[in-house]
Amino acid sequence: MSIFLGYVATILVTLFTYNIFTLGLNIQFGYAGILNFTVITFMAMGAYFYAVFVMPPANASNQVFYILGLHWPWPLASIAGIVASGILGYLIGLIALKRLRSDYLAIVTLATGTLLYGLSGDQNKLFDGWAGLFSVNQPFQSVANNHPNTFSWIFVVISGVVMLIVWWFANQLYSSPLGRSMRAIREDQDVVDAFGKNTFKVRMMAMVIGSTIVGIGGVLTIQYIGALSPAGWTTGETFVVWAALLVGGRGNNIGAMLGSLLVAVIFNEGTRYIPQVASSPNLVPDLRNIIIGSLVILSIWFRPQGVLPERKAKFFELPLKDKYAQTFGGVSANQELATEV
Amino acid sequence: MKLFLLTLGFGFVSASIYALLSVGLSLQFGVTNFVNFAYGAYLGVGMLLTYTFSATLGLPFWLSIVLATIGTGIVSMLISEFILSPFVKRRKSLFYMLIVTFGLSLILDNVLQIIYGVGFNEYPIGQSSPVTIGPFSFTGNQLIIIAIAGIVMIGVHLLLSRSRLGKAMRAMSDNADLARASGIDTNMVTRWTWFISGALAGLGGIVLALNIVSFQTTSGDALLFVIFAAVILGGIGQTYGAMLGALIIGVVTEVSTVFISSAYKQDIAFLVLVIMLLVRPQGLIPAKGKA
Repeated sequence: MSIFLGYVATILVTLFTYNIFTLGLNIQFGYAGILNFTVITFMAMGAYFYAVFVMPPANASNQVFYILGLHWPWPLASIAGIVASGILGYLIGLIALKRLRSDYLAIVTLATGTLLYGLSGDQNKLFDGWAGLFSVNQPFQSVANNHPNTFSWIFVVISGVVMLIVWWFANQLYSSPLGRSMRAIREDQDVVDAFGKNTFKVRMMAMVIGSTIVGIGGVLTIQYIGALSPAGWTTGETFVVWAALLVGGRGNNIGAMLGSLLVAVIFNEGTRYIPQVASSPNLVPDLRNIIIGSLVILSIWFRPQGVLPERKAKFFELPLKDKYAQTFGGVSANQELATEV
Repeated sequence: MKLFLLTLGFGFVSASIYALLSVGLSLQFGVTNFVNFAYGAYLGVGMLLTYTFSATLGLPFWLSIVLATIGTGIVSMLISEFILSPFVKRRKSLFYMLIVTFGLSLILDNVLQIIYGVGFNEYPIGQSSPVTIGPFSFTGNQLIIIAIAGIVMIGVHLLLSRSRLGKAMRAMSDNADLARASGIDTNMVTRWTWFISGALAGLGGIVLALNIVSFQTTSGDALLFVIFAAVILGGIGQTYGAMLGALIIGVVTEVSTVFISSAYKQDIAFLVLVIMLLVRPQGLIPAKGKA
């Protein structure tokens, strides 16, 4: 029974952290149309920087190396991790959010992700290389008296509360003037430019806010697990977040959360129980990645708006009398004006 | 000075590999007007098909290279025909095209991994002794790489300047709608472009494998952003620009090893990419309306 309770807790924490990742990506892609092809790198930045701020200085005699090791209290270290993700988002934005096609931003995010992945793996002085950081201080571990289930359930509550705050914030942002500008830029940046908005600044806000939120998820992840190595943030993980957002419904925060339930929890956890093939241990994870990739492509083909589409904005309309004025809206309504072509 | 010239020589080898790859990417971008994020996986297709033909089936090595190059071209064409073109015909926005190719990269990488596993492979050919030419020193394979790249670059030049297909490709690159209106069979041109782009990616993957000797399915992926750097440096969609970009990136990354650890080679390419995007995002030879 206690194993089962611990498992349920882990599932819930996974769900809540993936909700946070997907909400972050939704602000970037769903609101502002920013293609971030390395979502998971921001999670890793948040997690790693939390770790090196909260851990004591590296002990060379253990052959474990990392930068900083400031031994800060965990609330301050959490903020440091979150800020680090935001700063990375800002730097990428500085390079690629000028008036360039969206291809360039996608290329820069992907390049940065590949680069940081290689660096943090190969340079073992940064975050202990491929071995990664472990025994990272977990807050509330002492409160829980080191009882694993108590700790897990405390963490379910914490991550749940953080997730609800992020969700509330994302909704506030959506209906705020800033959120409206973001969505307008997503639809047509030139028009928004013409109305005198500083589109660079608005897109940068979306980039930084989204990155920061993904960083929050990263901090929660490492606080719960207590360890992170490069194997935990491969490109495949980025796809899980993308698939979750596209399946759930881009631009819709409830959709984003539904998507992470379907993809990150039900699909990803469900396939964990498929027995491994002894001769090729990678077969099941490889197939899982193939399905995730197919899910991304198929959802764009069959239902690009997702399971829960973004609600159409409603505007106050003047009650126009003129029949020609009323036909202005669409081609089908234009029949009276249509001539044989 | 001696070391500098030696690394300059290696720079030419890298530049040759990058030239094949960036010309392939740039040609396709010019014609279809979206970036193919699955391009890194095409390198893997080429290098591993060669492995199958030469090591598993025991065909002569040169024949394996030819077959694998054509094979990768066909794979690329089929992917375009059955996956990408339907999306283009539905007039999906650029966002979605990029996400589709990004998803495709995950699928292709994992298909390759299921077939070939995660281990390292080597081609069944001996390593030749180094040849010294003036101040440079190359292995026999590296000389072959430079020769292949040289011949292919001349071929691409002749294709673009002399052949009907090349002219049609340039026309589509300038304005696809106008090209269609003036009677160019744009579907056919797109098909051929994907074939050529895939074949160049495959060939680039093979020569990359020749240069690094032992390779695995994901060896091409790490190189993807180096290729992007070369393509953006030259001006995205510009074939001759891509050649120039490849030459600069190849030489700069190799010569940088004189001053800093060779572990940072790719970081140098990234630095060039960043500087270029900040200073001159349209590239050295800008293409109209592509940036």
